[in-house]
Amino acid sequence: MNIIGPDYLVFGVDDVAAAIEYLTAWGLKPVDVTDKGGLFETLDGTGVIIRHKSDPSLPPPLPTSNMLRQQIYGVRSAEDLDAIEAELGKDRRVTRLSNGSIELKDDHGFELKFQVTIRRELDMPAEKINAPGAPAQRGPNEIGVWEDMPALPRTLSHVVLFVPDIDIATKFYCDRLGFVITDVLTGAGPFLRPKANDDHHTLFFIRTPEYMKGCEHLAFHMGGPTELMVAGTRFVKKGYQSFWGPGRHKFGSNWFWYFNSPLGCHFEYDADMDKHDDTWVAREAPNGAEASQIVLFEYREKWSPAGGPPPGAKG
Amino acid sequence: MSTTPALPHASSEKLHLCHAAEVREGHVKGFGPLEGYRRKIIVLRKNGVLHAWLDACPHYSSGTPMAWKTDAYLNGERTHLTCHSHNALFEMDTGKCILGPCLGQKLTRVEIVVDEDGDVYAAAPGEGGLI
Ligand code: FES
Ligand SMILES: [Fe+2]
Repeated sequence: MNIIGPDYLVFGVDDVAAAIEYLTAWGLKPVDVTDKGGLFETLDGTGVIIRHKSDPSLPPPLPTSNMLRQQIYGVRSAEDLDAIEAELGKDRRVTRLSNGSIELKDDHGFELKFQVTIRRELDMPAEKINAPGAPAQRGPNEIGVWEDMPALPRTLSHVVLFVPDIDIATKFYCDRLGFVITDVLTGAGPFLRPKANDDHHTLFFIRTPEYMKGCEHLAFHMGGPTELMVAGTRFVKKGYQSFWGPGRHKFGSNWFWYFNSPLGCHFEYDADMDKHDDTWVAREAPNGAEASQIVLFEYREKWSPAGGPPPGAKG
Repeated sequence: MSTTPALPHASSEKLHLCHAAEVREGHVKGFGPLEGYRRKIIVLRKNGVLHAWLDACPHYSSGTPMAWKTDAYLNGERTHLTCHSHNALFEMDTGKCILGPCLGQKLTRVEIVVDEDGDVYAAAPGEGGLI
């Protein structure tokens, strides 16, 4: 089962205009978006689909206040869809749609869809850095930052779910769909990587009471930590609300910056995540502030130590 | 206009928030953070009465900011104060969470007074106020 990762997340929102404004400001491109909602794309075509929560075309809501309606996973080929259908058809209803994609529910009742991935291959450089002792990544006269440098989400990176039972969730994704545990934050849950993706995680669980079940956050890969901080700073300056960050996680090593949203969950810019293969042995650490980040900063207004001493100061 | 009890003299220990006319029925505004407060103070008007709450969702013990954008504190139907971290809904006049992660918990009320000119003040933290 060559699952790559989330192609789209689908939300049923209570304020479509607010969600449209937010997703556009986040740096996503509206595709066929009307006042009823639509698709918002990253650079590789993955992204977020929104509709009003009363829209009958949406999958049913979770029995909580969460607005997530469906996670749409991309797989490599039609054979992978057949394999998933064969495996999960054993104990649940799997609906085959006319375009070949399949729909089903996971063991916590989250709506899932699997499709041959729509993601386009990206061909863009990562952030380049120079350091003594290593060959220059930016050669002579190649500058690192400029005021209007691009800083757009490149791809949908991962989704984090509040689930009441970590065992049930882990067994479903690992035993039935071939995900691998890369690391575990004890007390929260495991980081999971699907077979056809070498990112540290595309899925993470946090154990919560049943009445919180839903999406905690979704994250978007940026071109590097500088792009992440530039995008986040621009977002704050437009009035959007930072929740946590910028900082850098320990497990996964990815930079992060989380924001509140009108979609009832956090949105995260992330950058520079670790890659893994099957030789990796999962680490474990107790969940908490120390384990979750190596550094944490907070936005502040631009300031500079300009000007001399105040008039009258003794020289 | 406001039915919030007016005090004849706003004492100097009170912190100025806004003018009562700035917050119309059903609307919400965030002010601050004022001196001594760790978060903004949310002022809203419901059924003519002004209420003020600390902008600190009780889901996490540190209390986190609730808007998704400056002054965007309400749900889509504009019926409830909303934490736009995980969509917890709070009653505008009691601060009680009725849906979401902090179900049953309450926002922290900030005591306010409105003087005869209609200026709204919050109690300074420490004397009926909070930090
Ligand atoms: S932080 Fe407010 S609902 Fe979770
Ligand atoms: Fe994340």
